[in-house]
Amino acid sequence: MTHRRWFTPWLLAAPAVVWLAVFNLWPAVNTVILSFTNAKPLGGGRFTGLANYERALGDEQLADALLNSVIYLLICLPLLTFLPLLLALLVEKKLPGITFFRTAFYTPVVASAVVVGLIWGWVLDDRGLLNGILGALGAADRPVSFLTDRWLLLFSAIALTVWKGLGYYMVIYLSALGNVPRELHEAAAVDGASAARRFRHVTLPGVRPAMMLVSVLIAVSALRVFSELYVLSDGTGGPGGRTMSVVMLIQMYSRGFTGHIGYASALSILLFLLTVGPMLLLARLNRKGA
Amino acid sequence: MRRSLWIRPAVAALAAVTLAGCGLGDPGGANDDNDAKGEVKGRVSLQTWALKPKFTAYMEGVIDAFEKKHPGVEVEWLDQPGEGYSEKVLSQAAGGTLPDVVNLPPDFALPLVRQNMLLDVGAADPALAADYVKGGVDAYRFPGTGGTYGYPWYLNTDVNYWNAEQLRRYGLDPKKPPADLDQLIAAARTVKERSGGKVHLMSRKPGLMDFANAGVQLMSRDGTRFTFNTPEAAALLDRYREAFREGLLPKDVLTETYAGNTRLFSSGAAAWTTAGGNYITSLAVDNPTLAPKVVSSPAMGTPPLYVQGLSVARSSGNRATALALARWITSAGNQAAFARLTSVFPSTKASAGDAFLSRSDGTNAGDAKVTAFASLARARMLEPVQANDAVKTVVNQQIALALSGRTSSREALDTAVARADELLKD
Repeated sequence: MTHRRWFTPWLLAAPAVVWLAVFNLWPAVNTVILSFTNAKPLGGGRFTGLANYERALGDEQLADALLNSVIYLLICLPLLTFLPLLLALLVEKKLPGITFFRTAFYTPVVASAVVVGLIWGWVLDDRGLLNGILGALGAADRPVSFLTDRWLLLFSAIALTVWKGLGYYMVIYLSALGNVPRELHEAAAVDGASAARRFRHVTLPGVRPAMMLVSVLIAVSALRVFSELYVLSDGTGGPGGRTMSVVMLIQMYSRGFTGHIGYASALSILLFLLTVGPMLLLARLNRKGA
Repeated sequence: MRRSLWIRPAVAALAAVTLAGCGLGDPGGANDDNDAKGEVKGRVSLQTWALKPKFTAYMEGVIDAFEKKHPGVEVEWLDQPGEGYSEKVLSQAAGGTLPDVVNLPPDFALPLVRQNMLLDVGAADPALAADYVKGGVDAYRFPGTGGTYGYPWYLNTDVNYWNAEQLRRYGLDPKKPPADLDQLIAAARTVKERSGGKVHLMSRKPGLMDFANAGVQLMSRDGTRFTFNTPEAAALLDRYREAFREGLLPKDVLTETYAGNTRLFSSGAAAWTTAGGNYITSLAVDNPTLAPKVVSSPAMGTPPLYVQGLSVARSSGNRATALALARWITSAGNQAAFARLTSVFPSTKASAGDAFLSRSDGTNAGDAKVTAFASLARARMLEPVQANDAVKTVVNQQIALALSGRTSSREALDTAVARADELLKD
């Protein structure tokens, strides 16, 4: 005999619901509420309406940070969508020693972002390895300001992100490539399709869902970039703080005893809205493609 | 219908929890009186900052002696790691779990004082001002608060450190190092020319302390706005701009934090740095080859005063014991013993004549300690306590922008003041 009580499904779902409510829903709701206050870490705050959002409109540092984030997105998105796919195609082959290359490409993913950032900092420093090589080759008569020029610092951080992300997305593509039926390739080859045509008409459609997933992941992480810029600029955001990301700005405003929690929350909400945009766009493209 | 019975209270509870969690409530919980009378007994908690494991034995000795002196007292000692200490104290303050006695530098103490979370130890212990040096006591007196909110503990200041070998190599006399900015820039030019630009003498961009040393008033007297965007500050910044344009400073200064010049010095890329009185001891670990080649000289201008202190939480349930413990740890005898373990300096007036501090053992580290101790008499807190990390970040960003030539000194200082003021606002 089976007893059915109305609360049984609720009871089963309760742990997950409580977890989501406490660690996801509540902080999210709290952030929205705080964004309409002048809250500080100590001493509470009061309701200030849209004041934080008005302040954000006139914040030059936020404008710089948004521009940096958009540039980050525009460069990282195509590079990290297509380069890992090409890498995956290379290491997909069953050749002797190919495991070594797969591991080598994946190693940066395992390394800590901070450690990798420090190593890149030493390489790109005015007295670093790269400037040393450029000087020895006579390619530059003075050190290239990789870490002290606004744009070079940004591009250096982008290069670091791409280098570190290649292996991660390569693994996703490897899995997707494994699901592309070999018969399709064989049929296309029998029909006289060249390697390029097979790539375009067989491989690409086969990995399209993975490509969409990768694009969304890249878009979100590019807009939320922090570690690379923070470590390469020693936390300063470059000269004038003009190479800060939005997350660095949030960190700067929220930290310490006198942090502006209200304003930092408003920036978090703006970043959230900015992140949702590309996600919805990519989802729409995905639906259209399907 | 049955579900609505619990859904409504649940939603109300969630809303209440949310509003409470967002920090809109009154901090509350603290007693308003400043009374600290009572018997010295019972449990009391003490929190220090990064003293373990190097000074564990010393602190345990001090605590044991206190417990022996006051039978029935039990001290619970917590030592927090160096990294993230401000966040730790912040979470304790927000959660109402501040230890009874807590090590707070003045800039950490100020926001807690504004929330009425610290005891006015000056009122509870009237002899405080007479027993401790003025600079140390003043560090815990804040504009508009009318009290003293910490016992000054150990003090330190900055000393100039020079790489004697490099100075000699480039034709400079390590016994007569530069003593002001003019001499420094001239010497930096010599080092740059004779080293082919491989070594720099100057490796630090100017900051608030340099402006204060140039006679610039950094803040309004009521501590509500910054005022360092003056022609004098712009003129000083212009001199550094010119030096940077000449290549007398490495490009790293644009993104380096304050400690950046010690990193360059310890790697041999710069021949001058400023650091505390115990720098050579730590350099001997990082670069043992360089440490013996370092000579020290007094800081240029007015030396900065760095103060550590012990405050008593207003929420303490055992104020009398907490006060007695703070006073005991910062007493002349215990501070003198501490100063023998590392190059920090006591904040008690009774320690002024301590021969150990004013006599070198003949090593360059000993010379630096004596230089630092002698400088303390002239030292003062150059940066206002309101200049927290966020303020320093925006100031450094604008100074870097001016140095790089992308904006004028005046414009950079105006922007820095505007942004720093924004950070001060409630």
